[in-house]
Amino acid sequence: MNRLQANLCLICVTLCWSTEVIIFSCIPDGILPFATTVITSGIACLILLTCFFKRIRQEMARSGKKLLLRCLILGVIKTAYDILFLYGLNYFDVSTGAFTFCITVVVLPVILLTMKRNVSKKTWASVLLVLTGIVCALGGTLVNAQFLGLLIMFVGCTVRAFFIVKLNEYAKEHDPMTLSTWISIIGTVLAFAIWVVLQPSTFASIPWSGTVIASFFIYAYFIVAFAQTLNIFAQKSATATGATIIYSLEIVFSLIWSYVLPESLIDRMTPSPYHVVGALFIVAGSLIEILEFKSRRVRVEIKE
Amino acid sequence: MKSKNKRFHKGLRTAGLFFALVFAYLVLAIPFRVMTVIPGFTEIRPVQLLKPVYGVFFGIPGCLAFAFGNLIGDLLGDSLRWSSIAGFAANFAGPFVFWLFWSRLSKTPFSLRTGTDLLKHLVTTVVSAFTESLLITPVVMLVYADVDAMLFAITVFLNGTVFPLLLGIPLMILMQEEFGFRPCANRYAPL
Repeated sequence: MNRLQANLCLICVTLCWSTEVIIFSCIPDGILPFATTVITSGIACLILLTCFFKRIRQEMARSGKKLLLRCLILGVIKTAYDILFLYGLNYFDVSTGAFTFCITVVVLPVILLTMKRNVSKKTWASVLLVLTGIVCALGGTLVNAQFLGLLIMFVGCTVRAFFIVKLNEYAKEHDPMTLSTWISIIGTVLAFAIWVVLQPSTFASIPWSGTVIASFFIYAYFIVAFAQTLNIFAQKSATATGATIIYSLEIVFSLIWSYVLPESLIDRMTPSPYHVVGALFIVAGSLIEILEFKSRRVRVEIKE
Repeated sequence: MKSKNKRFHKGLRTAGLFFALVFAYLVLAIPFRVMTVIPGFTEIRPVQLLKPVYGVFFGIPGCLAFAFGNLIGDLLGDSLRWSSIAGFAANFAGPFVFWLFWSRLSKTPFSLRTGTDLLKHLVTTVVSAFTESLLITPVVMLVYADVDAMLFAITVFLNGTVFPLLLGIPLMILMQEEFGFRPCANRYAPL
């Protein structure tokens, strides 16, 4: 997979994640997010195990405990930032809260710097544009937002940035399919533990219906099995910063869905001018990262 | 005798592949029946992402699997109508356009590594979606006058372009680059 292909895959991953809102609208509000994680990650890891059992077994034989330990670290970090986002988003309305996810883009290069890794000038330019987009979109709400909400989101984004750095590192070393399967398994187990504490009746508390089951399957196919695996494959050929900048496009896709899709599928909303301008800055930042700017062509003459 | 046996095994393998592809189609298609745009006629169909995959990597058996998958999906979803015959033809033609382009018309082998390759794929996708829309919409218009033909045609076209482009391209990249699938619709591929 070359860099262009990796970037395309990352855009696709971001697109899949942005449809989460549409799928969630088919799942009743009473179902806890941890329940959704348990069921969807469970289905996804079953699919991955069934389809790629041989490949996973080979990788386990090669990497064994080291891989398991790394997946455990990733699974714990992922659950941690999921919880932080879940509680942090309570302080914002849906559209504003979604923009706060993009803070990861700003935090990640700083984390890389503290780890003494290089960040290119092009990346810093992208980060600056995305940051301008976030500030634009949050606009007045940033002033009125509760400090605690912002703090939780900031910590969540920092944890997520650390997750991306580690995932990027491990993806280059291990088989992405095995990583994805184990992250799903560990995510399922951790989410189930939290679910049991919050809602001891677990599966019995879910109002099962055709639509709910279908939504769980759709979520499992696209958000977990497909997007998560594709993300890890793409990370092999991408940088952590580049990936995060592309992830910030999620808010742009979400805005498009909320404007384009019929009301039978989603609660439609008209984005404010601040949101539109913010989204444009984010697109510009991502384009700078995605596009390869060639330096002036140098003619090489071969003398015989 | 030996060649007869070989042919039998090849036929068996193709049949097995066909059933596996139909199964994969149905597993992906059935949950999306809840996302209806025109009840009984069309819904949001991410399963369309399999259209280029089936055409390029599995050739004619793939095209047939795509068409039969759609037909069985209609049957299971209680939406089998006269227009399903046109639906069958359109769902065969969709992946067939990809197969035809990459195996007969393109001067280069199938790949999605450069901007030019991607542009070719984009044009093929648009042609394929347009062909599908052109095959189904007139029949639906003729048989079911109460259906909004314009909305139907647009939905078919968008389903046929958006999903193969946004989800199909990454899946094909993954299949070719990471899982080592060899494009069947590739006359340049070594035998």
